[in-house]
Amino acid sequence: MVDLFSGQLLIAALVLAAIYGLVALGLNLIYGTMRLLNVAHGEILMLGGYLAYWTFTLTGVGPVWSMFLALVLAGAFGAAVYRTLCRRVLGSSRLIEQIEANSLLLLFGVSIILQNVIALSFTATARAYPYLDDIVRFGTFQVTADRLVVLGIGLTLSLVAILFFRLSTTGLQIRALIQQPDAALLVGVDVERMRLIAFSLGFAIAGVAGCLISMLEQVSPFMGFPFTIAAFVVIILGGLGNLAGGLAGAVVLAAIEVYGVALTTASMRSILIYGVFIAVLVWRPQGLFGGRSLVR
Amino acid sequence: MKKSIGTALAAALAGAVALAGATAASAADPVKIGFSESKTGLFAQAATSQYQSYNLWREQVNAAGGLDVAGTKRKVEFVSYDDQSNPGKAVQIYEKLITDDKVDLLLAPWGTSLHLAITGVIERYKFPIVGNTAASVQLRKLKAGNIWFPTSLFPDRQSDVLAALLKDRGVGTVALVTNQLPYTQENKAFVVPALKKAGIELVVNEDYPPDVKDLTALLAKVKNAKPDAVLAYTYPADAVLYMNGAREVGLGQKVQVVLLGPQYDFFGKIFGAARNGILTMGHWTPARKDWPSAKTFADAFKARWKTDPDFLDAPLAYVSVEILQQAVATAGLDKDKLRKTIAGSTFATINGPVRFEGVMNVALPTMISQIQGGTQHIVWPPKERTAEAIAKPAWK
Repeated sequence: MVDLFSGQLLIAALVLAAIYGLVALGLNLIYGTMRLLNVAHGEILMLGGYLAYWTFTLTGVGPVWSMFLALVLAGAFGAAVYRTLCRRVLGSSRLIEQIEANSLLLLFGVSIILQNVIALSFTATARAYPYLDDIVRFGTFQVTADRLVVLGIGLTLSLVAILFFRLSTTGLQIRALIQQPDAALLVGVDVERMRLIAFSLGFAIAGVAGCLISMLEQVSPFMGFPFTIAAFVVIILGGLGNLAGGLAGAVVLAAIEVYGVALTTASMRSILIYGVFIAVLVWRPQGLFGGRSLVR
Repeated sequence: MKKSIGTALAAALAGAVALAGATAASAADPVKIGFSESKTGLFAQAATSQYQSYNLWREQVNAAGGLDVAGTKRKVEFVSYDDQSNPGKAVQIYEKLITDDKVDLLLAPWGTSLHLAITGVIERYKFPIVGNTAASVQLRKLKAGNIWFPTSLFPDRQSDVLAALLKDRGVGTVALVTNQLPYTQENKAFVVPALKKAGIELVVNEDYPPDVKDLTALLAKVKNAKPDAVLAYTYPADAVLYMNGAREVGLGQKVQVVLLGPQYDFFGKIFGAARNGILTMGHWTPARKDWPSAKTFADAFKARWKTDPDFLDAPLAYVSVEILQQAVATAGLDKDKLRKTIAGSTFATINGPVRFEGVMNVALPTMISQIQGGTQHIVWPPKERTAEAIAKPAWK
């Protein structure tokens, strides 16, 4: 029997939670504000991964720094996608009726194009680089430095995001838009601007997440999809559009993945995750942490 | 009337000239070689090196004046389509290549499932094809007469050879963790009885799903069971998880096998010296002195693609085109002659001699490799090895 209280398992669960939380945050933000199902989210993460890989390989600059570049570039790319594609969908009275399904189809197309553009540009060969892979010891357990960095940055960014949405005017306006879109419009929230910001932020966070993940696993044009799926599971667990709930959902998913395997067998991992996922969908469709209001 | 005779004569003359031109052109025409490529979909990542080997070969052949077709040199031209990693699509593509594009020769698609899928088309048109990146005991059951497999990585034989190596290394207990994908599962199905037969006890035997993102808990169980050896039957993506997890959890076993992953360039980039001592599958290495062209291939691949070839698919794909090249030099493009030549000759390749009996290459024994000094060496069986197996050093 594995010691359930070992630091080894705890740190593994926390690192995983940080990754899931960060990946899900961007997806949730875009869904929450616009009801757009961004299935290309994983591909933005993949672009972030490639950016980190090439920056490190060509210049020696690590992902801890290139993530700032990813933040800007992915954010700008988000703004471009929003202005060229998503704004039209949101502005069309016919398409807005089934915005979730329509956005899913649209962004699915974007995801396929991105995968193949990258595959054509860099081949589909997996790529990786060594970065901060020294072992750090903590009493009875040890962890690689890159995973600690991912944990640290993931937690910091999540904290910054929570503070941003609680304290800043822009954050409050975006939350207002998520909770009461009509009322937000009435009280003078610049809906168009907030949507653009939310969409760019969603992409920017995914780009940063990709940079961080590239430290831990290989980068390839098709790496994104599993993360998109994981992010959807997380935001369903936490409540669609519920940003803080999404972070809690990430902790739940990571805990199932690590402690579920420790308590049962590794082959139970997907059964447990999707079992909980379906149970939540059926019995608590608002999410484990969702009440009536969406953002706490 | 006179005019019409003149016209007819002119037409006949023009036709004769055109025919003569066509005959003259056919010798100079490029040889069209078709294949389907998993450019997108599930296999895209794995299939890249096959495509790179094919293209390297094409460029080398064309640079040397062309492919020797029974004495005539002709340039090589590829006709390829994306099969989207879909066996059904691959079947359509091979049908189209044969009937519509009318290619002169065929190269193999990527992976066992696509090889199996296209066998029906190949047999129907009796179009010979040398397979490469497929290794499943199912292939041996094929009664096909137009497809051959140069690999020796068949899970049943591989398991027996691995069990013999483990026994030699003094292993009495083993922990086995296996990805739930087909190739690793097939290996598991054969290694469990092979271990038992060798008197090796299995103390952990757990599967994990392919989309796993963390193996810490599973590897903690492995650590608790204190086995002499760990067999991680991974695919490349989770091989990274295994290595990171094994380092963190502190699996100090001197014998650790990682099935799929260590053969690839990215694995070396990410783990560097930490991967030394890892045992893996593979029957090719540029270090074999009696396969001098192996090193030449590795160097040419690196020069062309700026990345080292993997130790599985890149050489296998290259071996398959080498076989085809030598067969065409003897038999030309006639399918019957080509079939007989491939089935009945011995070929010199970067992976040593190849000779087929049925669909199988009987000249290449099954081997186990190990990463040593940053490259992959054959360590078992003893008469094939390029280096002695070493105990895995402690994680740094």
